[in-house]
Amino acid sequence: MAACCFSGLCAIVCVPCLWAAEPVDFARDVAPILAANCYQCHGEKKQESGFRLDTAQGLLSGGASGPALVAGKASESLLIQAVLGAEDVAKMPPKGPGLEAAAIELLKRWVDEGAKMPLEAASATQRKTDHWSFQPLAHPTPPAVRNRDWVRNPIDAFVLARLEAAGLDPSSEADKTTLIRRLSLDLVGLPPSVQQVDAFLADTGGDTYARLVDTLLASPHYGERWGRHWLDVARYADSNGYTIDSGRSIWKYRDWVIAALNRDLPFDQFTIEQLAGDMLDGATSDQIIATGFHRNTLVNEEGGTDPEQFRVEAVVDRVSTTGAAFLGLTLGCARCHDHKYDPISQRDFYQIFAIFNNADEPVLQVPTDQQAKELPALLAEIAQVETRLAEVDSNAAGRQAEWEAKQVARIKAAGQQPEGESPTSDAAATLGALSIAHDERTPAQKEALKLEFQKIDPERMPLVKQLAELTQSRKQIASAITTTLVLRERQEPRATHIHVRGDFLHPGAAVEPNGPTVLPPILARSGTRDRLDFARWLVDARNPLTPRVTVNRIWQAYFGQGLVATENDFGLQGDRPTHPELLDWLAGALVEARWSQKAIHRLIVTSATYRQSSRMRADLAAADPYNKLLGRQQRLRIEAETIRDASLAVSGLLSGEIGGPGVYPPQPQGIYRFTQQVKFWGENKDSDRYRRGLYTYFWRSSPYPFLKTFDAPDANVACTRRPRSNTPLQALTLANDPAFYEIAQGFAARILAGPKPDNEQRIRAAFRCCLTREPTPAELSGLAEYLNVQRKRFDEAPQDAAVVAPPNMRGDAERTQAAAWTMLARVLLNVDEFITRE
Amino acid sequence: MQPAVPNPPSPLLSTTRRHFFGRCGVGLGGIALGSLLAEESRAATEPPDLQDPLAPRRPHFTPRAKRVIFLFMAGGPSQLELFDYKPKLQELDGQVVPPSYTKNKRFAFIKGDAKLMGTRRKFARHGQCGAELSELLPHLATTVDDLCIVRSMVTDVFNHGPAKLFVNTGTSRFGLPSMGAWLTYGIGSLSRDLPGFVVLQSGPRGPRGGNPLWGSGFLPTAYQGVPLLPGPQPILNLANPPGIDRARQAEFFAAVQKLNSQRLAAVGDPEISTRIAAYEMAYRMQTSAPELIDLTGETKQTLEAYAAEPGKVSFANNCLLARRLVERGVRFVQLYHTDWDHHGNKDTHLGQPLDDRCKEVDQPAAALIKDLKQRGMLDDTLVIWGGEFGRTPMGEPRDLIGRDHHIDGYAMWLAGGGVRGGQTIGNTDELGYNAVEDRTHVHDLQATILHLLGLDHLQLTYRFQGRDFRLTDVEGAVVQKILA
Repeated sequence: MAACCFSGLCAIVCVPCLWAAEPVDFARDVAPILAANCYQCHGEKKQESGFRLDTAQGLLSGGASGPALVAGKASESLLIQAVLGAEDVAKMPPKGPGLEAAAIELLKRWVDEGAKMPLEAASATQRKTDHWSFQPLAHPTPPAVRNRDWVRNPIDAFVLARLEAAGLDPSSEADKTTLIRRLSLDLVGLPPSVQQVDAFLADTGGDTYARLVDTLLASPHYGERWGRHWLDVARYADSNGYTIDSGRSIWKYRDWVIAALNRDLPFDQFTIEQLAGDMLDGATSDQIIATGFHRNTLVNEEGGTDPEQFRVEAVVDRVSTTGAAFLGLTLGCARCHDHKYDPISQRDFYQIFAIFNNADEPVLQVPTDQQAKELPALLAEIAQVETRLAEVDSNAAGRQAEWEAKQVARIKAAGQQPEGESPTSDAAATLGALSIAHDERTPAQKEALKLEFQKIDPERMPLVKQLAELTQSRKQIASAITTTLVLRERQEPRATHIHVRGDFLHPGAAVEPNGPTVLPPILARSGTRDRLDFARWLVDARNPLTPRVTVNRIWQAYFGQGLVATENDFGLQGDRPTHPELLDWLAGALVEARWSQKAIHRLIVTSATYRQSSRMRADLAAADPYNKLLGRQQRLRIEAETIRDASLAVSGLLSGEIGGPGVYPPQPQGIYRFTQQVKFWGENKDSDRYRRGLYTYFWRSSPYPFLKTFDAPDANVACTRRPRSNTPLQALTLANDPAFYEIAQGFAARILAGPKPDNEQRIRAAFRCCLTREPTPAELSGLAEYLNVQRKRFDEAPQDAAVVAPPNMRGDAERTQAAAWTMLARVLLNVDEFITRE
Repeated sequence: MQPAVPNPPSPLLSTTRRHFFGRCGVGLGGIALGSLLAEESRAATEPPDLQDPLAPRRPHFTPRAKRVIFLFMAGGPSQLELFDYKPKLQELDGQVVPPSYTKNKRFAFIKGDAKLMGTRRKFARHGQCGAELSELLPHLATTVDDLCIVRSMVTDVFNHGPAKLFVNTGTSRFGLPSMGAWLTYGIGSLSRDLPGFVVLQSGPRGPRGGNPLWGSGFLPTAYQGVPLLPGPQPILNLANPPGIDRARQAEFFAAVQKLNSQRLAAVGDPEISTRIAAYEMAYRMQTSAPELIDLTGETKQTLEAYAAEPGKVSFANNCLLARRLVERGVRFVQLYHTDWDHHGNKDTHLGQPLDDRCKEVDQPAAALIKDLKQRGMLDDTLVIWGGEFGRTPMGEPRDLIGRDHHIDGYAMWLAGGGVRGGQTIGNTDELGYNAVEDRTHVHDLQATILHLLGLDHLQLTYRFQGRDFRLTDVEGAVVQKILA
């Protein structure tokens, strides 16, 4: 019964971008349907039957068959009859299965509601360029609200104004334990320690919360947490991708991102260095490393591939990624043809392609300070020895003559008659040459004798040995130097052509480097625009997209969805912002804060909006099912890496080391059964076994299963938002994965190593360590009972207890106890709440 | 371009529904029961239930097939040695290919001046339909009256990785959902204790391309293919940790569920009920998956028919597993058998290595068809056999003789649910170079597969980055001749 109601309800609510109560909006709801289905024959280029639907005037005046619309009367409107395929009316569109029922329903509602549309809406092109996201940032003042006490900063005024207009109250502030856990997970990706929680709860000062925010933002783990968000966008991985998928070394870029965020490198500079750090005046090694951003493209090493084809693919990916990451535009759609919806022509696409088409893809050596010191010293020493060697060789004539005389004497004494005829070996040649008078020797014979002497020249030999040793050291140091992939601008620019239908084998018209024409022009430093000009233009004050897209993505991390829900599409097909003024205000705040990302984090997390409880509320569920009005916070399942990190932190096993090459925590057997090649996985036995998830070596063709299972992106294309799935494989992973189980054992060992009050106290401590809050009496008694049952079970099966308990437990009693606690630790690490940010 | 098709609503929307219908408080077992009652209550035109993403859903129209077994011959088998006999090619053996064929064409390894090469294999006609097959496929020859052999396949890409992506996702780019993901997204799965989309592997190495071939792309991860691993633990992390027996595991799950239920009551987030359901299915999988892979219960007769040997990793075992999977309601089973890339090196020429591949594949594939038929399952199970492309009519001389990758004409076959068996459709030209009759592009094949499952490839879309994506990109037409 309930199931039937489901379907009925769904048919109403599933209409795209539309809330049942809200009137149809022409630009948002109707124009996209017309654009997708009608413009091809009734648009700017063609007007079949003299009818065009891409202008208000065209729609109103109709075509050869008469007026298309009767405002308020859908059933009498020709347009509706045509899409319905009514009798005596030519069905539109003439080909294909026709419009979707939902789309027809929308058109009908629009007509019934009066077929309202902006009369000034001129041509489609005009409307496209008028699109909201292309307009300069407005600098709105926070609106007045009734409940002024609730407002902590301007964000809240914008949010509250909408809530009040809808007759809704915001939710109350979450309790302090929820807040510290939320903040800690959001800002550093780790749960707070019990000590931190106790201190926070005990501190009743007015600025406790603000000080906690500052502390967390100053933590070096902040860079890891937010670096991981950016690495999703940067499609960072440690292998080449495609089928062969060899390893690559580019972790210096990953570490650059972490460090840049930790020192709050302004986002404009952050952008410029990643896109064109190599082109900055006096570019530092760090700035060149940053260009690894666009070296995270795939490399196809398969036999029989055309290298140019996959170089082109990489450049295309750079354009698409740049579009998604900074502009929120689906630039890739214009690769084969003009963008179907947005004012981006195919020419625009190849103009941006030209910007990125002019870079070489070298490998940068990044020596440590030690290596940077040692290597030149070594080279100098090598040069020195070589000079001395040359000296020794240049004054060898006398020594050689003595040696020759001795040799001749020795041969004669032995009664050997050196023969001069066609000697076959070097030694024979030498012997032969000795018997010939010095002046009569051929140059080859002279050379042979010289070389033979050098082999035993007592002055030369130690130098040769020394040189070999030095060279060996140099090789050793050189091969130990970390390398990373970077961009380098070519001296001779490549010519770029439009690829007809996206096919690089069919070059069309030549294009010059430039940006999309719909946005403000790119200013060249001189002559042709290049990558650096482009990077600066991305973060130029006149470009409204980059700051909007950036603050929106940050917002999304805190609330589960952006103010613009389509975080990678700010074009005409994308969703409109739920709070346009707030979006612009925040974007303006980012620019005014000199692009400090930490400033935006601080603003958001100190707002009353962020601090709300995430509890479900019946009134909100009814009035605002999507929580678009932000009348509460949102429960979010934490990301793959954060699950790993949080469990490691709770168990006390976490290694706090930051940066360095990728690591190899334990993974299940059989992973490479499904890849073309078996990948290296030298399981770490030391503290690297317990590093944070973002340091796990990432093979694109077979990612670390734990991460993949919890929706980590596969790094083949830019990922601007991770899905949050909830699957049985996740349950199996948390329940049974050997690596995760090892963490549960570690957690048990930690509990047992702590103070030794009664079991109940221990359970409370473990619960708080894992979930931050105090357990309820029911939870506590349930867990105590579980522990008792397990204890009894293991008492009866000490051999199992020995396997289940963490290592290094002595005696049956201790092992039985530890096994029972391991089971309890495993339960706590498996509850939904542990992997949720409330 | 189709109008916007509704994407899944925000989780919060489902939240409300869940709230309305009071499914918050269901205990152990309750969710599964609820889902079974709700069987196919939703249509594929609606978004899936986020709380139960794999619940079965009604297709767009009455389906001819309910499940798919795709026997993927990775590397690109040679149609000229197996399905497409060309007398003219035999006649011109050794001559340089006429330039008109290779003008503006690109190849992986050979050049435009390569020499044509006839096959060394004998062909004969079989069955009532008289289908022409080579001597390499004697077992398949006994099933031709159930097969629809398509000799006119064409594809767009000629490197393995991209071409495999193309067959599976409709484009050679990364990031798009695979066929099995689209299907389970569209119509869910009939299995409540196994994944809806399962991938099996045999042959000397994994298929080139790896994970993305069965990935879910921008669709939710719930729809990605789950590789079934060889050995006693077919699914990652299926086994209890050491020392934890079935009773302890049951108590563990119960303890987790109890805490989750208490939390659900406290905060009211239906995501927790999804978690509870996921843990229940995980627990069931721990029993159902080992039972699934245990072939010892199969009769000697069946094992011999497939040439399956319990405990071994082989295409034969995987074919038998495929039958057991679809019997249990799994929607899409994909078997990869690797090493069909016969370029002509020592281990990859068209002599013994091709004999070996065919021996590994021929009998089990034929047995699968017969077994399904005997059990009455062939009528609604679609079986597909083929690779990412075929091979050139020109020889590729390396150590020994082979052929290069070829995209302009190659062969596959289909059988079962909704397929008209006993026919060979399509033709290549006299050299076996270009498909000239009933050209069937990969997008057409995809449209046809979806059609047989009751799905309109134009309607099965997902809005991503401002565009409605579908399996067939912007192409594809159902191949009517394939349909029964």
